[in-house]
Amino acid sequence: MVLLECRGVTKLFGALAAVQDFSFLLHSGEILGLIGPNGSGKTTLFNVIAGLYTPDQGKVFFRGKSTLGLPAHAICRLGIAKTSQIMQPFTDMTVWENVLVAALYGGNLPMARAMEKADEVLQFVGLGSLRDDPAGKIAVPFRRRLELGRALATGAEVLLLDEVLAGLSSVEIEEALQLLREMRRQGKTLILVEHVMRAVMGVSDRISVIHHGEKIAEGNPREVAGNPLVIEAYLGKRYA
Amino acid sequence: MLLFFQSLVNGLLLGGIYAACSAGFSLASGVMGVVNLSHGDFVMLGAFITYWLFVLLGMDPFLTLPFTLVILYGLGYLLQRLAINRLVGAPPIMSYLLTFGFHLVIANMALRAWTADYRSVNPSYSGLTWNWSGIVLPVSRLATFFVAMGVILGLYYLLYRTEIGRAVRATAQDREMARLTGVRIFKIYTFTFALAASITGLAGSLISNTFVIYPQMGLPFTITAFCVVVLGGMGYIPGTLLGGVVLGIVESMATTYLTAGISLTLTFFLLLLMLILRPGGILGKGAIE
Amino acid sequence: MARYLYSSRIQFIFLLSMGILLLIPLFGLEGYRLRLLALVFMWVALAGCWNLMSGYTGYIDFGPVAYFGIGSYCTALLMIRGNLPFLLSLFLSGGVCAGFAFIIGLVTLRLQGAYFAIATFAVAEALKQIILEGDRLAGVEFFGGSHGLTLPPAPSELFFYYLLLFFMGMIIALTYLLSHTKFGYGLRAVREAGSAAELSGVPTLRVKTQAYMLSSSLIGCIGGVEAYWLTYIIPDDVFHIMRTIQMVIMTLLGGMGTVLGPVIGGSFLTLIAEYLGVKFVYDYLILVGGVIILVIILLPRGVVGEIKRRRGRSRWFF
Repeated sequence: MVLLECRGVTKLFGALAAVQDFSFLLHSGEILGLIGPNGSGKTTLFNVIAGLYTPDQGKVFFRGKSTLGLPAHAICRLGIAKTSQIMQPFTDMTVWENVLVAALYGGNLPMARAMEKADEVLQFVGLGSLRDDPAGKIAVPFRRRLELGRALATGAEVLLLDEVLAGLSSVEIEEALQLLREMRRQGKTLILVEHVMRAVMGVSDRISVIHHGEKIAEGNPREVAGNPLVIEAYLGKRYA
Repeated sequence: MLLFFQSLVNGLLLGGIYAACSAGFSLASGVMGVVNLSHGDFVMLGAFITYWLFVLLGMDPFLTLPFTLVILYGLGYLLQRLAINRLVGAPPIMSYLLTFGFHLVIANMALRAWTADYRSVNPSYSGLTWNWSGIVLPVSRLATFFVAMGVILGLYYLLYRTEIGRAVRATAQDREMARLTGVRIFKIYTFTFALAASITGLAGSLISNTFVIYPQMGLPFTITAFCVVVLGGMGYIPGTLLGGVVLGIVESMATTYLTAGISLTLTFFLLLLMLILRPGGILGKGAIE
Repeated sequence: MARYLYSSRIQFIFLLSMGILLLIPLFGLEGYRLRLLALVFMWVALAGCWNLMSGYTGYIDFGPVAYFGIGSYCTALLMIRGNLPFLLSLFLSGGVCAGFAFIIGLVTLRLQGAYFAIATFAVAEALKQIILEGDRLAGVEFFGGSHGLTLPPAPSELFFYYLLLFFMGMIIALTYLLSHTKFGYGLRAVREAGSAAELSGVPTLRVKTQAYMLSSSLIGCIGGVEAYWLTYIIPDDVFHIMRTIQMVIMTLLGGMGTVLGPVIGGSFLTLIAEYLGVKFVYDYLILVGGVIILVIILLPRGVVGEIKRRRGRSRWFF
């Protein structure tokens, strides 16, 4: 079932088209990888889907209904949550409270249930021991997990994960991928923006490639990896 | 009809003065994101420096300008160096509060030292007017207008045609990049604020023979500067001219056709209107922080 | 409500303090000292209201005095021209202020933080001008212009002591209680990271509006109380920017976004003002300015905030 659809989305900043006529479909339960060189427009696309930006052209459809004009918090409540590449924890609140906010508002849960959910989520992402620490003081890898935790606590069905694997060691990446697979098993649908090629190629069902704001390739990981356009655009790591 | 043109010309002259008084504010806010709520007090200080030099030493107001420039530059330098520089990167509210603190201290120390009496500077030529086909142009106002123009043009030249001006603009646009290309950020900030202070003080000296001088005159000027800068676009120096003229004419017309006491209210309304409808200024070139 | 998150020890201390303050007048506190204490209550309450909005959302309001003035005038007008009893007028004034806050907020809360500050300041000043000039321009005898309004004679000082104590207690309690409610968490999220809050589902504009309306209506009520207390109000006094400055500096000094901040800042500065202000008006202002400068540079989080930071915790009851 098509859960999310982008149809001809274009986002301009002045004269620069950060995203140009981008279309794709996201099916329920799949993991879609979105790759592309730096500055190709991945985060902008995410911001449009999440509602932080309004597209200049095109629309985003969630479960068949257009989300055009909806504010970000409404889109979150509908079921699309996004993590931020520039991590923004609520620094003066504890780790637990950070997740609680997401559960209360995004998840629209009553207080008692939200508190339970926050506990569950923290356990799931492995931050249980840091629960009472001020979110601004925890180490960087843990902040990524907090971002993930907040997104999960909203109860959203579609998760837009922006470079959640950045800066992690091999072991940590493997753990993170396990988490992602578990999330899919629990019914979530994911879009991953990643630069860690090995990881994103390994875990995604499909890959979309964006370059200068446009889609230049799409397909299963192996097809995409062999695509000369992609190789040329990327000049980065090749999938071994 | 003549009344209309007189009003228009008055507004134009007033506008030039407002522009000169506001240029420093635009500079500080555009380059450093510092909204200086003590801005008007620099105007006040400039006016008082001219006043005391005139009264105590008999110096002609126009000759006091270099003194004002130097003294206010020094003051701006100190304030930036010791206090404002510490707020780089902090939320803008902090600079609001800090500069408001400056305002309270400066304005009230002035009040304590010089009492609330109204004063004015009256050189021998203050009453002279020039009659241009029925429109009355006070000579001192006219002279002030031209000097003000000169100041703005000078500032423009400084910013757009000199090395240091380029460094200032680079820092305004992208602090990190400027730092990476070797610009000494804090020195630039100190220079910018000191420059802004000195220009504002200069404007204060210029208006000393047009406006009444008293220690609490600062706050209305800060508000005026804010309005001018929002009209012209925050950080966009040439816009200050436009903003000043627009405000000047609006005020002049309102004073002529409505009532005299309405000018401050009008400034507020105009400001509010701009902030809501067009925060980027009339020309839309302002930085919307 | 998350009952167990609230400390019973804190609740006990609060009730004990309130009890003491309630009983003090019975032990001979009267006259000047009674008035002074009531004044402290008023300022702590005002600072607390301002803190509720600006301290917790981080969205600095520079025009709270607007509502103080609206509340004063509303209460006065309802009593004078509407012949309504005081408490009813007060209650209605609170509602009127909430309404105004909604309208003004509709327009200003969408602006960026810095612009919001200036816009609210401009609104407050504009309102003062309107009240001052309104009668003259419209040709009516309604607001009383610069002559102001005189209210019906007020009951004893004790009445106001208890009324202001009530407001102060209510606002402190409210601030504390909100901390572990959904609304409270939403407020703090908005302050910390606006876009992250949106992405977590927090309707930031709505939350800000609610905080603004709450804060403003309470400020308006206190304005109404003062109007009745002083029996005579003029625009230059009830819309005076000094009130905004006081609210800001008290909260700043005590610690924005904390429960005790306004209490500490409010009491301290009111007492200092009493000592200096009566004789040395300018000195007090210079002192205030100096305090602001020092606080910003040295103690940006305020007294309570600094203490919290050093202890490494972020518990609300502090």
